[in-house]
Amino acid sequence: MHLSIDDLLAARDGHAQPEAAAHVASCRECAAEVARLAAVRDALAALPAERPARDVWPAIAARAAARTQRRRLLWAGWTAAGLAAAFTVVIGVRGAIEAFAEAELARQTQTLVSESQRLEKRLQKSEQRGRVMSGRTAGTVAHLEDRIAFIDARLSRAGSDRVPSSEVLGLWQERVRLLDALVNVEASGTTYAGL
Amino acid sequence: MPSSFAVTVDELVLARARAGDEAALEQLFRRFETPVYTLARRLMRSAPDAEDVLQETFLEVVRSIRRFRGDGSLAGWIRRVAASKALMRLRARGGRTFEELVPEEIGDGAFPHASGVATAAERVDLAAALDRLSDAARTVIWLHDVEGYSHDEIAAMAGKTPSFSKSQLARAHARLRELLAPATVAEGSCT
Repeated sequence: MHLSIDDLLAARDGHAQPEAAAHVASCRECAAEVARLAAVRDALAALPAERPARDVWPAIAARAAARTQRRRLLWAGWTAAGLAAAFTVVIGVRGAIEAFAEAELARQTQTLVSESQRLEKRLQKSEQRGRVMSGRTAGTVAHLEDRIAFIDARLSRAGSDRVPSSEVLGLWQERVRLLDALVNVEASGTTYAGL
Repeated sequence: MPSSFAVTVDELVLARARAGDEAALEQLFRRFETPVYTLARRLMRSAPDAEDVLQETFLEVVRSIRRFRGDGSLAGWIRRVAASKALMRLRARGGRTFEELVPEEIGDGAFPHASGVATAAERVDLAAALDRLSDAARTVIWLHDVEGYSHDEIAAMAGKTPSFSKSQLARAHARLRELLAPATVAEGSCT
């Protein structure tokens, strides 16, 4: 019998078992098949290069600039502080005069804001270390940052109401959860599941 | 045959790119645009998908280049980022498509032999034949036979086992043989 395709490919790539190599040496048809598989490999490598129909660099540069700007704000701690400012004022003025439920909502929000700022400081330290990460991990980090940016945009809009709400509390909870995941990914270099 | 990623980059350009110099980053992009897009185009079925992979790859390069220590090949790193982006996109999009669950009767027995090596006419049709392979088979044959990744490396990138990679390579070659020279297949036994 002739060799299996696995053995033929192994022979082509120089990984054949001794018995399979001996067979190729003595079987003209299997030797020809090994040569044909090599020819297919070479023909694939010789296929002409492809080029995109349009110049995509401007789009890449624009997206990279937008991300850099957002990261600068994040690393400066501006994001959480800025987003929190509106609520801090509201908490000070309204906390004493509104119902307990609203004050409690404000207190919980403030706790999450503080936690958010703490996590951002940790991220800043991690960033300063400049650890090398795999492509997959870097992709995970980028994904998490994009999601945080989305939350920030919603918080900015919600902040204009200047009233603590369950929606705002939920957004801060999500922000802390994403930041926590980002800290873990940055620290361990591992990808994450879920979220 | 040298890889299309056999691209050299001036050390000064690399240093400037790592410092965030946009002009240097664009120079890097121009150097690697064609090999990355070619790789993406071979793995993805559509030009728009390949463009997306090109964009995502260089967004990550721009973002992470300062962390590239230079103790490995820059081209190898960019190629791996591109392959990973394409694989992530294929897996996210395809569900069963990448799994290639449709059985193809290759089996463990003898491989039916073609009469000879690919002719010039067959090579002309090779790109079209490649496009007719399943996502998994097309990805594995390109990454293994052209880009030179091992089955272990492909398995790690694809989140599969080395056996999966090997079986997809065998399927890819069997299918290409059918597509390229169906009339020349002849069963036979060694004497």
